[in-house]
Amino acid sequence: MALKVENVELPKKYHDAVEHWHRHNFKDYDLLLKYWDKYFPKDDQFCLCAKMELGTTDVIQIGDQKGEKKRLKPEEMTPEQAGHLLAIIKAQASTEFGSIQQHAATVDRAPEDEDKFWTMRVMAEELRHGYQMLHLLLSEDWSSVSGGVTGEQMVEEILSMTTGSHVLDAFNLDYDSYTDNVVFAACIDRVGKYQLTMQKVCAYKPMADSMPPMLREEAFHLAAGVIPMRRWAQKAAKGDVFVTMKMMQHAINKWVPRGLEMFGDERGGDTNVNFGFKDMKNDEASSMYHEELRKMIRDINTRYIRARFADYSPEKTEQVLDELERSRGTHHGLAWTDLLRLPDKRFFRRKGVHAFQMVGIDGEVFADVEDWLRYLAANLNDGYIASRDMKLYAEALRAVVSGEKTPAEAIKSMPRLKRVGGTCPCSKGVRWVMEDSDGGQTTVAVR
Amino acid sequence: MPDVTADVRIRPLDELDLNGIVRINEKITGAYEPDLWEQRVMFYTRRDPGASQVAEANGKVVGFMLGDCRAGEFGLEEPSGWIERFGIDPDFRGQDLGRRLFDAICAHFKAEGATSVRTLVDRNDAPVAGFLKAIGFGDSSLAALERKL
Repeated sequence: MALKVENVELPKKYHDAVEHWHRHNFKDYDLLLKYWDKYFPKDDQFCLCAKMELGTTDVIQIGDQKGEKKRLKPEEMTPEQAGHLLAIIKAQASTEFGSIQQHAATVDRAPEDEDKFWTMRVMAEELRHGYQMLHLLLSEDWSSVSGGVTGEQMVEEILSMTTGSHVLDAFNLDYDSYTDNVVFAACIDRVGKYQLTMQKVCAYKPMADSMPPMLREEAFHLAAGVIPMRRWAQKAAKGDVFVTMKMMQHAINKWVPRGLEMFGDERGGDTNVNFGFKDMKNDEASSMYHEELRKMIRDINTRYIRARFADYSPEKTEQVLDELERSRGTHHGLAWTDLLRLPDKRFFRRKGVHAFQMVGIDGEVFADVEDWLRYLAANLNDGYIASRDMKLYAEALRAVVSGEKTPAEAIKSMPRLKRVGGTCPCSKGVRWVMEDSDGGQTTVAVR
Repeated sequence: MPDVTADVRIRPLDELDLNGIVRINEKITGAYEPDLWEQRVMFYTRRDPGASQVAEANGKVVGFMLGDCRAGEFGLEEPSGWIERFGIDPDFRGQDLGRRLFDAICAHFKAEGATSVRTLVDRNDAPVAGFLKAIGFGDSSLAALERKL
């Protein structure tokens, strides 16, 4: 069932461009739709459309213009506001399409069909969220603040991004295994939940009206991360040789620092609040996110302990967990380090106030850069430590430690993963958004 | 002992409420069934996020009510709210939490266009039947039928 929502389809040439994009970047999209009723019985069919919540408030709820009527067009905002919001919308669009490209690389390695279909539903809904952001870019004229870049050019730019050329770091990291699909959903989609929740108040009404339908879908994405992690914890506790807590911990270590950085520098966020676009500043939101992750990890650890000590009551399990968290010791052969741990907020950061500090998962401080890098290598998965991202991080860190660069200079150099974005791979020079040769109906050429 | 005098907040269910729900069910039935509740929470989270509600005190789940809004079943074309599972931590009973959960889930059903809320109950389960009667459920023209196979 849906609350009061209006479904909107993009003009044909843009709709077709997104359809074409998913044929290249989400090859099993049609498979998902074919088996939708098997894996999601009774759920509404998937709709590739923008969904606008109806009946939301017309009044700005926060910031300098609080109490005024919400803005319906870019020109009703100041140029600074409109330019700032345009950047937010483009970044959001980039993340949505970017996550599909990441998921696509390893989704076929899902151990169970159900896992794969859960991930594919997440991908489809991210596609819809990207589509939603394209609707915001295309439904009004942003040219006065886009430097003359047209809506079509913005769509072309977004659809041409690949893993390595997206706006935010978390979407430029390759997945190394299916573990990343799951842990990303649990940790990075959780950032998405915070961003969407904060933007529900947005002073630009079409943006605010886009948030509730996206948030409702995001709830499934988080469950599609947390529930497999809970099941893996149970398997690990029972001695499954292919599923370990260490495997999940290494993925947590990879994603949580990037998730914290998605909130922006801890010292910032005033502009978003003053402009009425979000209702929390960066540090407040990222701290709440970090605490929510603590709850998630405790939840999974509880599942692990109950599976390992089947005769323990819920109360006994809580006591054991409390004691292990306090003592960081062992309990009947179960070590604190056998459980999942939430990385310290300063761990493995490359942006924000803690950028390039050498602080371990449990808050331990390192003085020697090589000791620190060895520690990182031992706490991240093999596929990731051999990556270009880690190489660039180590280079930047060494430059900071030697005094060759300031942290601020090193922050600017991260990430440098840029790869050439792409026109449609169907044919050289074919763009994603295409005018039909007859100049009438528009479509995407598949050659 | 839990602090049963703490302020209780009613809010929509999320995926991190699983342990709390599993614990309440275990306190009531004696059965530890995390797999079952993972399935149920996933079902309601994807079917109708925002409908199912939990009661939270001191950061812990002390009550839950799971349901969704749907149409087209049993010849009922109009959207109806369906309540399927609920439980209150025995330590927190007597605080009207069931009614507060019910009010919250019904507010969501109304926003989805439902004009009625439905459930099934075993008439032999006096506490549950009594609770449902107390929050306003009455007999329906629809009857649950069964035949032994």
